[in-house]
Amino acid sequence: MEPILELRNIQTFIGQYHILQGVEFSIPKGRITALLGRNGAGKTTTLKTILGLTPPRTGEVIFEGKPIHEMRSYDIAALGIGFVPEQRSIFRDLSVEENLLIAERKRGDLKKKQDMIFDLFPDLKRLIHLPGTHLSGGQQQMLAIARALVADNRLLLIDEPSEGLAPVIIDQMILAIRKLSVESTILLVEQNFIVASQLAEDYVIIEEGRSLKSGKIADLVNDKQTLQRFLGVA
Amino acid sequence: MKSLALFLRRNRAQLLTVTVLLFLLVVAIRGMEPTDASVTILRGLSVAAVTFLVASGFSLIFGLLDVLNLAHGTLFMIGAYVGWMVYIRPDTFLDILTPICLIASAFVLLPLWDFLANRLHGKKVVNKLWPWIGMLVAAALLYYSLQAYPITIWDAGVYSQSPGTYSLMADTGSRLIPAPVTFGAASPMLVILGIIAGSILLAFSLAGLQTKNSSGQAKQTLRLPWTFIAGFTALLVGGILILLFNTPLTTLIVGLGSNWLFFLAILVAFGTGFFLGSFIESTLIRPLYSRPIYQLMITLGLSAVGIELVRAIWGRSEFTMPKPEIFNGAGENCPATSILGALRDHCSTIFFMDSRIRIYNEVLIPVVGVLVLIGIWLLLKKTRIGMVIRAGVQDREMVEALGINVRKVFTFVFALGVALASLGGILAGPSMGLSASMGDSMILNALIALAIGGLTSYPGAAAGSLLVGLLQQFIIKYGQIGITLPFLSEPFMPSPPLVPASTVLLMVIILLVLPNGLFGRKE
Repeated sequence: MEPILELRNIQTFIGQYHILQGVEFSIPKGRITALLGRNGAGKTTTLKTILGLTPPRTGEVIFEGKPIHEMRSYDIAALGIGFVPEQRSIFRDLSVEENLLIAERKRGDLKKKQDMIFDLFPDLKRLIHLPGTHLSGGQQQMLAIARALVADNRLLLIDEPSEGLAPVIIDQMILAIRKLSVESTILLVEQNFIVASQLAEDYVIIEEGRSLKSGKIADLVNDKQTLQRFLGVA
Repeated sequence: MKSLALFLRRNRAQLLTVTVLLFLLVVAIRGMEPTDASVTILRGLSVAAVTFLVASGFSLIFGLLDVLNLAHGTLFMIGAYVGWMVYIRPDTFLDILTPICLIASAFVLLPLWDFLANRLHGKKVVNKLWPWIGMLVAAALLYYSLQAYPITIWDAGVYSQSPGTYSLMADTGSRLIPAPVTFGAASPMLVILGIIAGSILLAFSLAGLQTKNSSGQAKQTLRLPWTFIAGFTALLVGGILILLFNTPLTTLIVGLGSNWLFFLAILVAFGTGFFLGSFIESTLIRPLYSRPIYQLMITLGLSAVGIELVRAIWGRSEFTMPKPEIFNGAGENCPATSILGALRDHCSTIFFMDSRIRIYNEVLIPVVGVLVLIGIWLLLKKTRIGMVIRAGVQDREMVEALGINVRKVFTFVFALGVALASLGGILAGPSMGLSASMGDSMILNALIALAIGGLTSYPGAAAGSLLVGLLQQFIIKYGQIGITLPFLSEPFMPSPPLVPASTVLLMVIILLVLPNGLFGRKE
């Protein structure tokens, strides 16, 4: 299957720290791929490198056949890549509605998508006029995902969607992300292997800034040795 | 009910401070005659409005860009001087408009120059060298052609032709416009061509300086929207037309009268500020976003350069700026008793609670301040760019990750901030008078106001300016009438140095109680 995104020998520095030391993988279109690895392995930096927020020093990022690693991050995002960051980054001074409106790339984007978004996250409809500060952790996560859905994004980069959420809310999130994967490709960073294995079909393991292993997540579930070595899951 | 209690508990320090401040205000008002109090409050509002114009721009820039623009006071001052030129010497303004239009027209085509400079492939040495040689040649061309270009200007060294004299004459109604300078021996055609060629070469060389010339770069395509070409043509043709019809245009613009000229001066000062701001941000600040110390140094340096430049052109002496006629009359019906009457008879003062109020200083300036307050508030709350600004203040990276070009917004905010300062300058000109150092006290006031209000908070800028303005005026007034204090045989008269000191003291006290200012957010 044709990959929607391909990373070739990515080397990224933050300041003088050599964070990514050769990340290479490609993700197939229309599926969920999980980026796995321990804390500080470079998963979040990989997402930021794809988006050009921490541009790679060498290496190539190919999105839909087009090299994007030399582009500015806002141009990269405008190609159709949505980002849901780890800390959610909900804009405090903006209402829920404005948090969604700001993600519009064309006027009326939100109008077109709002039924789909409110269908996915009914809570947001109720909270629409509340300021971003007043949301709980789960609601913030829903808003962060919803924000990435307003524009027509063919690739979603979702960083740690389950972090710090109650189990009930995690289940809701898993359901939502599954629904999303019908329309867009998703690259998911997830510490919680149980969540990742419920969502993703493919995986890539990153360890100390290098991509080590990739394959079908179904195979990984039974590969106790790999799980223990790279993910600390027994 | 529950949320109200929560609100009270969360903000008790703020509420307490505001209560104490209100109490002090009441005490201060009760301590003087009602007429004195009303005048003092209005004067305080006037100072507050000007402070707010400087402070709000400063805080917008600091909030979004994290740049402390130390040149803000100087840009306030430049706004006043540029406005003065349009207002008092519109002929000079028209004269310099032509070269400005011609130079600007070359820079409008920057995308084209970028494209062409990228196409130039040569040896590495040549690539590095030609922009500098080009700039030298361009500078020489511009120097000679601009020198030969006739500009009718004042002469600060000669009393009868100094800016102050022109101001005085305009005030007495005998606006004197000297005979225009002509091209003399130089050929007008050559001079104009020299300016155009020089500025095109300059723009081209600057574009060449920025190209990276990396071999692996993908081939650029030329993106030159028709608006750029239209802008280029409009500026070029406009500049030449202004030159051709200089004499009739001068007669026309001088004939507008001081009211319309002042209005024009406000527009030009605002526009100049906007242009200067976008120019400074895109050329000097942008390369320095990751180096805050250098930003401080460059804005501090800019402020010194600006002050000396103004001194070189306008001279070192201070001078006044007359108020526009509509606020400067003293007919038999003046002082007026109502606003309508004041507007009808063009009175400079009006009776309000048995005391005379200067309409320009104490009515117009606060009204403009409130209008700007509302305008910027609407911009921030009701427009998309305002939404992006509010979001960008908190998290620039996330805004960019949504596909929004934050750099454009940065330039806009910097330009808007500087434009507001320039607007403050031209408005303060008639009430404060013009001096090259008028920006220094203003930026100090603005910084204190911002520290009081919370550095990046917009309502904070307004509240801080209000406090600073009121406090200063009350101290000045009490300096005249004295405060009766217990255990003192004579009333205490605050001396003039206590005026700025009192605001600093207020800032210190408020920051001790509320380290983030009145409206600041806890980091």
